[in-house]
Amino acid sequence: MKLFLLFLLVGLGMVLVQTTFLHLLPLGPIVPDLILVLCVYWGLNHPTVGAVLGCFLLGYSVDVFSSPVLGLNAFAMSLVFLAVYLSSRSIWIHNPFMSAAVVFAASWIKGAALILVGTLFLAADGLWIGVLKYIFLEALVAAVLAPWAFSLLRRGQKMLEEVTVPL
Amino acid sequence: MLAFVRRNQILLTSFLCVLFSLYILSAAARGHLRGDPVGPLLLTLMRPLQIGTQLTMAKLKELQQGYLNLMRIASENERLKGRITELEAEKNRLLEVEATNRRFQELLDFRSQLPSGSVTAAVIGNSASTWFRTFVLDKGGADGVRRGMAVVSPAGVVGQVVAVTSRSSKILLIADPNSGVDVVDQRSRARGIVSGSLDSGPIMKYAKRSEEIQEGDRLITSGLDGIFPKGLLVGTVAKVRKKTFGLFQYVEVALAVDPYRLEEVLVVSAEAAPGAR
Repeated sequence: MKLFLLFLLVGLGMVLVQTTFLHLLPLGPIVPDLILVLCVYWGLNHPTVGAVLGCFLLGYSVDVFSSPVLGLNAFAMSLVFLAVYLSSRSIWIHNPFMSAAVVFAASWIKGAALILVGTLFLAADGLWIGVLKYIFLEALVAAVLAPWAFSLLRRGQKMLEEVTVPL
Repeated sequence: MLAFVRRNQILLTSFLCVLFSLYILSAAARGHLRGDPVGPLLLTLMRPLQIGTQLTMAKLKELQQGYLNLMRIASENERLKGRITELEAEKNRLLEVEATNRRFQELLDFRSQLPSGSVTAAVIGNSASTWFRTFVLDKGGADGVRRGMAVVSPAGVVGQVVAVTSRSSKILLIADPNSGVDVVDQRSRARGIVSGSLDSGPIMKYAKRSEEIQEGDRLITSGLDGIFPKGLLVGTVAKVRKKTFGLFQYVEVALAVDPYRLEEVLVVSAEAAPGAR
């Protein structure tokens, strides 16, 4: 429960950062997807029912702040969690390159999910033309950030485990 | 049965979340989603944080500017450096005040051309996603902002309100691929719809191949979409490409407003349309 609350608060903080500070970075329209990195970390290291709901809620939060219709990112993040969970038994994150690679792949899953549901539900004419470039750039940025984000999350988790609540 | 559910609870919950999000998406896309309890709560909770962060960012920018100014005068002697630092800081503050005053004056002048009912709002947050061009304003339902109202600035059309809480609202920018503004070419009177695209920037769709559209033509709102008042500048034609076949021509548009440089905007309703300006 402590871990669920920690990750949820960190996730909401990331949404805040994504809507404000990260727009100062000289990356053009690309916004580094920290929420995706958090969902991948959660799915790999602590796959619980709480984690599933947490990823769904974080995707929903991104929808509240960004998407023209609710549910797009909630769907994408739930799908990313599912994919990471299903493959977590065969993935062993033993170095930063592995975490970057997993996040890179997860970003492509998210991109594909957004294209799929966007095409099905938004049905906007020519909406997704040229989108591969954006998926690639977004995945690249997320992959670069992943090792640092994983390390910070590990530290936060360790600190939380050391805190004892007096009963 | 219970043992199966227990053993696969994560998998089952994941599938339920995927299905539930598809349900939300389907309902929201058809406009049937009513009474979303989480969205307004999140926006309300985040509003003070976003305002605080924006203020911090403004302070940081100010500090960065001050530092750059200091670097430029590094070769001067210590006494003058101290004096110049003071003057630079004061100058920056006054310049900011002057710039803010100028922006407000422009907004006031622009607002006086619109009928009553328009709301002045400040931008407090940008999009959290690469895929969508949105931002959040500090005014909401309590201030008179309603879903579907147009968002404009003295320079031109900005976007439209897609979600409202009591104290904040979410704006879909016209640069977003999901956006659409009914426009008319001010010179040739050719009509079309300006929409964003992830690939090449905003384009004017459905412009007939027979129409004489030229680069540099000004595109203004037609007022026929019932959202944007008639006669507001949307942008200028940046590139025209006609193929030898097909019904329409390809027109790229340079928007009149750079939404990421905006700090204050006006929210107006189409009913309060001023007519052609």
